[in-house]
Amino acid sequence: MEGFFSVFTVELLQSSIRLATPILLAALGGALCNQAGVLNLALEAKMLLGAFVGIVAAFYLGNSYLGLLVAMAAGATLGLLFAFLYHKYKVDLVILAIAFNLIIAELTVFVMRAMLGNVGSWSDPSIQRIPNITLPLIEKIPVIGPLLSGYNIIVYFSWLATVVMFIVLYKMRRGRHLRAVGEAKGAAETVGINAVLLQTVALVIAGALCGLGGAFLSIGHLKLFTRNMTAGRGWVAIAAAMFGMNHPFGVFLASMFFGFADAFAVRVQAVTDLPPNLVKLLPYLATLIVLTAIALRTKLALSMARRRFRAQLRTEEATMPAEKPA
Amino acid sequence: MNDPTFKKIQDAVLVPLLAILSGLVLMGILILFLKKPVFESYYVLFTKGFGCEAYGNCVFISTLERATPIILTGLSAVVAFRSGLFSIGQEGQYLFGAAAAAWLGYAIHLPPIIHPIVLMLAAMLIGAAYAWIPGILKVKIGVNVLLATIMLNSIAMLVVEYLVQFPMRAEKSTTAHSPVIDESAWLVSFLPGSKWGVGFVIAVIAVVAVTIYLWRTKYGYEQRMAGQSGRFALYGGIRSDRSAIRAMLISGALAGLAGGIEVMGVHHRIMTGFSTGLGFDGLTAAILGGVHPVGVFIVAILFSGLKLGAQLGLQLKLGIPRELGGTIIGFIILFVAAGSLFQSGITRVRALLDKRQARRVNGEGD
Amino acid sequence: MTLAVEMKGMTKFFPSTGVLANDHVDFSVEQGEVHALVGENGAGKTTLMNILYGLIKADSGEVLIDGHPTHIGHPDDAIRHGIGMVHQHFKLVPSFTVAENILLGMEPNRLGFLNQTSENKQVEELAQSYNLPVDPAARIRDLPVGMQQRVEILKVLERKAKILVLDEPTAVLTPQEVNELIMVIRGLSAQGYTIIFITHKLVEVMMVADRVSVMRGGKMVGTKKVSETSIPELASMMVGREVLLKVDKKPIQRGEVVLEVRDISVADVNGLAAVSHMSFQVHQGEIVAVAGVSGNGQTELVEVISGMNTLDGGEILFKGIPVHETSVGERREMGLAHIPEDRMVVGLNLQTTLDENLIVSRYNHPEFTRYGFLLMKNIDALARQVVNAFSISAARPGEGISMLSGGNLQKVVVGRELSGNPSFIIANQPTRGLDVGSIEFVHKTLIEERNKGASVLLVSVELEEALALADRILVIYRGKIQGELDAATATDEQLGILMAGGTLDDLQPHPEVQP
Repeated sequence: MEGFFSVFTVELLQSSIRLATPILLAALGGALCNQAGVLNLALEAKMLLGAFVGIVAAFYLGNSYLGLLVAMAAGATLGLLFAFLYHKYKVDLVILAIAFNLIIAELTVFVMRAMLGNVGSWSDPSIQRIPNITLPLIEKIPVIGPLLSGYNIIVYFSWLATVVMFIVLYKMRRGRHLRAVGEAKGAAETVGINAVLLQTVALVIAGALCGLGGAFLSIGHLKLFTRNMTAGRGWVAIAAAMFGMNHPFGVFLASMFFGFADAFAVRVQAVTDLPPNLVKLLPYLATLIVLTAIALRTKLALSMARRRFRAQLRTEEATMPAEKPA
Repeated sequence: MNDPTFKKIQDAVLVPLLAILSGLVLMGILILFLKKPVFESYYVLFTKGFGCEAYGNCVFISTLERATPIILTGLSAVVAFRSGLFSIGQEGQYLFGAAAAAWLGYAIHLPPIIHPIVLMLAAMLIGAAYAWIPGILKVKIGVNVLLATIMLNSIAMLVVEYLVQFPMRAEKSTTAHSPVIDESAWLVSFLPGSKWGVGFVIAVIAVVAVTIYLWRTKYGYEQRMAGQSGRFALYGGIRSDRSAIRAMLISGALAGLAGGIEVMGVHHRIMTGFSTGLGFDGLTAAILGGVHPVGVFIVAILFSGLKLGAQLGLQLKLGIPRELGGTIIGFIILFVAAGSLFQSGITRVRALLDKRQARRVNGEGD
Repeated sequence: MTLAVEMKGMTKFFPSTGVLANDHVDFSVEQGEVHALVGENGAGKTTLMNILYGLIKADSGEVLIDGHPTHIGHPDDAIRHGIGMVHQHFKLVPSFTVAENILLGMEPNRLGFLNQTSENKQVEELAQSYNLPVDPAARIRDLPVGMQQRVEILKVLERKAKILVLDEPTAVLTPQEVNELIMVIRGLSAQGYTIIFITHKLVEVMMVADRVSVMRGGKMVGTKKVSETSIPELASMMVGREVLLKVDKKPIQRGEVVLEVRDISVADVNGLAAVSHMSFQVHQGEIVAVAGVSGNGQTELVEVISGMNTLDGGEILFKGIPVHETSVGERREMGLAHIPEDRMVVGLNLQTTLDENLIVSRYNHPEFTRYGFLLMKNIDALARQVVNAFSISAARPGEGISMLSGGNLQKVVVGRELSGNPSFIIANQPTRGLDVGSIEFVHKTLIEERNKGASVLLVSVELEEALALADRILVIYRGKIQGELDAATATDEQLGILMAGGTLDDLQPHPEVQP
């Protein structure tokens, strides 16, 4: 059993945080869109686009940081396109997402093969990986020091993004308007709030965040691009957003949960004979349970008024002498 | 009877047709960018996807074989959609069906003909069971079917991957795969050297069966009414809950069957990376095929042909990356979904044609 | 005295439904008065107010605010001119607090940052100044409906509205909350605000309005001072119509009790009583009309009898057998037929063919199904039979029905419901929106059924229809049977009073009204 416990190390937690980062970024984007009332299932597409465009830009511009910015821009553009098609042509969100996911998955490989050589994955030695940063004072803090220091800038950005999103959504005017649009579009529009604009902004920001998340994988981690690099992380992000009930802090914790499951699975595989996949399964199962719980709560709330009425009738009957109307 | 049915077919077919044409035009444009020959590309694409070369060497056969699982998962989506449930769980049900067939293929030993039948029933059963979960959650609690099936797909992928890597893993294999199933379980193929066989026939039978089910049985009637107008169904006395569950069971069975056939007829085992998104392809076929079994059949073959043509033709012959095929298919979906793009054009052309016909009827000129 | 609002010649036609909602309507409101705009569902009152508030653009007509011709193309324009509207379905965000909702879109902020404390304080002061106390920090979804409405009113007052339009304000309130609202309206009027409220509840009109305008079928019927009119007069202005031809009715040969409703109670979506301890019986061979202004529980009553909704209290017996726990299908098997209020959404499925619409209540019968398969020939035969028997000229078996006229659609519904020889027919507003010919057809058919021995429960808001068809009339008000009249001897006046919540003892021009 000693082998089992050797799995839990600081490295594991650091791994979790790293693995959680792309998910966190995409999930924040997804949660923002959900809060605005637009179901965004194209997170995978935006991440993949960011991964590809980011690394290619990093190569051609000779600067990985610029690559990150270009990735964010690309994701944002895709988000804008998504918003345009949805609002102008009333395309069904799910079909739109399926189409985008398919197109980007294939198109990125197509462009890679057409322009960078007929290869399965692409890399170049000149590309610099985004370096890790050690925070001088913080890393000296006992216990949690190593957990907070030593990541690359994208990771820290994701933490910042979480806090910023919280502030904007709950402490700022436009954020409140966005939440109003998502929860009661009629109420928002009646007071003059531009729902289309806010939803478009949400989709654009989500695109940028996803693009950054994807770039994290290519520039920040593996230093290459390959077919279907995001490997379903966009869908994980959708689950994380749901699990975190679309609240930035909830999404943060949910993403950490997913990241931990991933890291744990890898570690377990290396150290023991236990199957890793079953661990990775838990967050999805948890999300499904959350979905069920939410639906159950809604159902009970709806029927509560009725049940109260019936209870009232019963007490009336009990206290009144039985008098049947003529 | 002649005019209205013709118009109905016209309406159903026009937008997808225009979308496909637009997609092909887009493909031409992209090929131009690559400075590759455009018309030769089209030629190669179609001959390598749908054509026959030497006698008996028809690529079209491979296309039909590739289309088989897509037809079945597409039918699965059609049944679910037509009951009003937006289930995209075909991928997960497909995987479980494949796993079941793969396992029973080597775990039990039965004589030929019986063995595959048992396997298919098992695949259908497990697919139905897995589809029952989101169905009952929706009917009893009101859980969103779309979101639930997304989660269940991921869970299925992980569970099946685990099964392949551990309990079902064949001894001493570097890439995980299950033992090859007994030959008695293999689906017969019609031509030597090709995997096209009984599986395709089953898919065709399924197309007919689903069509009959939806429009000629009372169960299909129930679910269609419930899917189109819930209030009307309640008012008329239809038990929508029951018909929704029934629809999910059938939907799951079809997707599970797809997985089973893929194992029994093509790979003869299950391995890592078995999931290639065929569930989603079926979904796409359903949407583009107008949520109709015959539409699914046509679109599935079309897509498989395009993909194969892109792979064997564009890539091998002209050096154009085969991902172009998948890209164009994605754009076609987009064009169909944004159908209103075409709508104004269509109405204008129709108006023009009507005016011309009216003039003809009233006598030329005037 | 200048007119706060003057609308001249307003006309609005909705091509999508083919309805002329407003037909050259003239409407004017004096400054500082409380003006009620009444009419049945579909009379056009909400459309008129939506035009005033800029939610809809009129086809023609002129709007003057304080004597100045004004163009209102958007709610923002209306707000700028001091018009505030409280909609029937509240425009509130359930998870937000009272203060957040009231200040939505106009939150005080520093560089975009909100300050919850000062928002609450601002709302607190607002509420005090109008004497409409609210808890600024309470969440809307936790508040009772009456309080939510108060938040809506404060919302429009905060935006400096001088003219308040309330759309069906009392529809979802308890009687207690209605009284509170009336006090609020009186208070605001005393402070100089102009209040227009849309309603079809005449008792409240008499209690709080200064003048009342009645609309019917898209036209303005007339405007009266409340002190110079009465509930029966308003009631008949609301629902009166050209006299229909009296239909030939054999003298009643009443048989056994077919339907008995015993002390039933049904809650509406908000948990309030829509039907309250109601009891009555319907016999074989008679037509019983449930007459009343719509919104008094008719919908819920029909739903529980047909089985589309569950009963909260009491029992329903069909031919002596308790049915309140049985399904719609089972009741239909027992001989119950239902012509619903909404033929396009409930009675028919416009997305499918005539045949499939006709078999919805009977597809399980051996006549139409064997071993699970539909017997298409028999279904087709049924379709032909119904089309012929009911002369539905435009309908063809095997084809869609979405293009049929209202009258023909209703014929399909009636044809289906009656072709199974039902013993009990619920007819809920069966002639709504139909042309004269179709109305005659429906009436003739219902009488025929009654003469054959079937029972008919007719729910209608048209007094003339109830009088012409029914043997007995039950007047429904606020979920109770207010009174029963013999159709042969009932007078318009009696009906009018009962429909407005009075009793038959109050046969005076100005009934006593309880505050």
